[in-house]
Amino acid sequence: MQVDLQGPWSPLFGRLTLDAIPYDNPIIVGTFLGAATIGLIVVAAVLYYKKLPYLWREWLTTVDHKKIGVMYIILGLVMLFRGFVDGLMMRTQQVIAVGPDSPGVLGAQHGFLPPFHFDQVYSAHGTIMLIFAATPILAGLGNIIVPLQIGARDMAYPYLNAVSLWLTTAGAALIMLSLFVGQFSNAAWVGLMPLAELPYNPGVGVDYWMWAIQLSSLGTTFNAINIIATIVKMRAPGMTWFRLPVFTWVNLSTSIIGLTAFPVLGVALSLLTADRYLGTDFFTVGHGGNFMLYIDLFWIWGHPEVYFLILPPFGVFSEIVPTFSEKPLFGYLTMVAASFAIAGIGWSVWAHHFFTMGMGPDLNGYFSSATMLVGIPTGVKIFNWLFTMYRGRITFTTPMLWAVAGIFLLLFGGFTGMMLSAPAINYTVHDSVFVIAHFHCMVLVVATGAFAAVAYWWPKVFGFKLDEHNGKLFFWTFVLGSVVVFVPMFGLGLEGETRRLDYIFNPQWRPLLIAEEVGIVLYCISIFYFLKMIYVSLRDRVPAGDDAWGTGRTLEWMTHTPVPFYNFAVTPQINALDELAWRRENGLDKVKPETFVPIHMPSNTAVPVIIGVLAMAFGFGMIWRIWWMAGAALLAIIVAVIARSFDKNQGYILTAEEIAKLESKTELASVIAEQPKRAPLDHVEAH
Amino acid sequence: MRFLRHFALCAPLLLLAGCSTVNFALFHPVGRVAEAEYHYTLLLVGVMMIIILPTFLLMVIFPLRYRKSRNATYAPNWSHSTIIEILAWGVPVAITAVLIHYSFVGVYAVNPYSPDALDGSPGSALPPIKVDVVTTDWQWFFIYPDQHIATIDDLVVPAGRRVVLRLTSTSVMNGFYIPRVAPMIDAMPGMRTEDSFEVDQPGTFEGFSTDFSGAGFSWMQFSTRVVSQADFDAWAKTVQANPNTLPYATFTQLAHPTVNFGAKPAYFSAPDPELFDKVVRDAMNGVAYPVPDSLTESVSSNEGKALVPAPASP
Repeated sequence: MQVDLQGPWSPLFGRLTLDAIPYDNPIIVGTFLGAATIGLIVVAAVLYYKKLPYLWREWLTTVDHKKIGVMYIILGLVMLFRGFVDGLMMRTQQVIAVGPDSPGVLGAQHGFLPPFHFDQVYSAHGTIMLIFAATPILAGLGNIIVPLQIGARDMAYPYLNAVSLWLTTAGAALIMLSLFVGQFSNAAWVGLMPLAELPYNPGVGVDYWMWAIQLSSLGTTFNAINIIATIVKMRAPGMTWFRLPVFTWVNLSTSIIGLTAFPVLGVALSLLTADRYLGTDFFTVGHGGNFMLYIDLFWIWGHPEVYFLILPPFGVFSEIVPTFSEKPLFGYLTMVAASFAIAGIGWSVWAHHFFTMGMGPDLNGYFSSATMLVGIPTGVKIFNWLFTMYRGRITFTTPMLWAVAGIFLLLFGGFTGMMLSAPAINYTVHDSVFVIAHFHCMVLVVATGAFAAVAYWWPKVFGFKLDEHNGKLFFWTFVLGSVVVFVPMFGLGLEGETRRLDYIFNPQWRPLLIAEEVGIVLYCISIFYFLKMIYVSLRDRVPAGDDAWGTGRTLEWMTHTPVPFYNFAVTPQINALDELAWRRENGLDKVKPETFVPIHMPSNTAVPVIIGVLAMAFGFGMIWRIWWMAGAALLAIIVAVIARSFDKNQGYILTAEEIAKLESKTELASVIAEQPKRAPLDHVEAH
Repeated sequence: MRFLRHFALCAPLLLLAGCSTVNFALFHPVGRVAEAEYHYTLLLVGVMMIIILPTFLLMVIFPLRYRKSRNATYAPNWSHSTIIEILAWGVPVAITAVLIHYSFVGVYAVNPYSPDALDGSPGSALPPIKVDVVTTDWQWFFIYPDQHIATIDDLVVPAGRRVVLRLTSTSVMNGFYIPRVAPMIDAMPGMRTEDSFEVDQPGTFEGFSTDFSGAGFSWMQFSTRVVSQADFDAWAKTVQANPNTLPYATFTQLAHPTVNFGAKPAYFSAPDPELFDKVVRDAMNGVAYPVPDSLTESVSSNEGKALVPAPASP
């Protein structure tokens, strides 16, 4: 049973026609030309320098957790830029389209974006920022750092790790494709029901949104399984539970959320898929469907997802603040307890996203109370960071600046979040830009956490530090931009401005909208300094030591900088919480291993990247209802997975002599250096 | 660097100095329900400040005081203090308990279905003014079952009377909201929600939809005019005399997707007495008012002319 669709359909091309390509829109054509030019330059450079085999062997087919992490972060940064441009367009539209006399260009009555485009832009902004920018960057950080912090060789499932990456990339690629072929959803990143159902959204936009999220959420679930297994099973000898660094603890709690929450999203989207493709009535208005069910399911995933995003930055701050205060973290045990308290309470607060949907006062009161409870462990964390700084010796390097800014944002975001959790206040600002400003404070904590972590661990991965001068300029312009965008936005919320407006009907809102636009300009300047920081750092390449900051406390600073592909020449024996600090105190931090034992390493595999490409083809086929394409891609994925299970490759052995040789010339063993070519093992006795 | 740092600290103050509170609708509530919302906003924020302000101060003082260059006291291994940890958990627990108490009191005070804030109000002695609110894509229908009149995008109520609204939608979700007067409540297809408010003095207030509903969402406003009882009665009489009637068949014509630029009002006499129930029943039976692909893809081509001819004004 296939539903009735508006518009033509053919067996060969499905719903895809030439009209789907918006060649008449100068913004999209310009974007396409820019993206195509950059893409061609990259491809030409790779071919000219004959780097294709290197790219294939060392990156596309790699199962090394550090390289996978780096690719996650690159993906996240690219999508962060795309999401920022969406934000720039929204802010600019709102500053132009004020009042009935405002000018309009490019087919819009007011501003430069007709509602059709504006609605796609805001939907894409939310989807991209949360699912394709924040999530991959945090997944990448966890991938790189967690195995290093627990003294592991790699993740528990290196092959699954690569599959996670390429599934996430396939989802991101579908979103980028929606810009040039067809359209994106206009029903917000949450999928507003019943607006996302066929009667109100007959085009392919919602399908793009649905399949992009579905693919990447599979990747995120696999990654959560991987992180949990790694932390539970792969800890070095002596690394007991309460010697785990807090960043590893939060990755465990966040992965438990990921493993348990993302399947709920998968089910909700699958039921919506059945509605849109088979004509069922799960979330429709009539025929016994109930769209409130979708809203509940979505937020049962959606709120834990918020804590899934915010917990890793808490872990980052918990690493950075002690390092640059030259003191151990205050209240380690309560920090761990608070992380799991946040993750646990996160499951019981979802209905605070719809206090205005007519729940009774008792139910609203319950969800209000549960939400306020989150404030307790969050407050504890802030106090613990503060008392880590207390009687410390603080140096304000770039990572420390980001961490302090993140804690300020957390205080302000937490305060406004407590306001919103009271229904009496929520009835006045729900769905207003006050809410937008609040959760941007919170996701800016994620952004500051991510930038802090990138600056902090960059030398560990690449062997040289990021440029501090430009890094600080990037920091100050970014923080100033955030203040100038979001403080006026709180004001607009109190003036009553509602969210998702492509035309501003109240001219009184104009002054603060102009202020927000100034903040956006500051953000643009901060991007310039970010790029300059990367450029200057790559040009100068000031080498960093093993303990790059000189005051590192945890295990990752004990191995070489940059980290060799086998992580540790000899699996370390752990003696204390903050192992490196303990060894430094006992004069053991400079001791090098004398004898080596062979290391068993996983071989590269092309199957994950092939699965990624096939998953994208499957998604594209489903979106445009090109059944042969979707069917063939799905079949090929199944064949690839089965074929891989017959692969007898058991990895390879790095001999003790090779390790000794590599250890004497560590620059050969960096993350960007090549692995030795080696015939795979048929059989392996033990790890 | 120093300049940037100082500017970063001062920028928000500059912005605050640049605007008075006149524009801040939520600081100027009208009527008992909105005033209760404002009261609980101030009360809860006040309680939160007991913990937020000292924390903020510590966050400013500690990083400045314990900079390496200041050579302040350094305790390289100090990482535990039972007293501080008990306080770090205990104070937030105590503050949160107080907040939860006031949140529960507040949610009953402004409960849209039956706000405690209206207990003993002048209007509670009189029978309430009933208004049925039906949202379409993208207009507001206000139906007065007792006065036998209906309007589009114009809500007129008498001062000093309790107004009780029933809300539903023909198509997708919308949020009903009059910032200075009435708490927000969603209008949902196939379902019924309620809202209540009471204003003592005449005045005109802006209302609009808060929950995104598609291409015409940004033009989905309505005016709320609170008038004296005598003016309301006179106004109702004028509309009752309007030759345009609103039987259900006419309503279903008007319910098709229409962008009402500028929220131009329209008035009807003799609306179908069961209109609200029929809208709910139809939605539950799967009657939809689909948005044509052309309107989701390019509203600009339809701008300036509504898809369905606008009904005549009185």
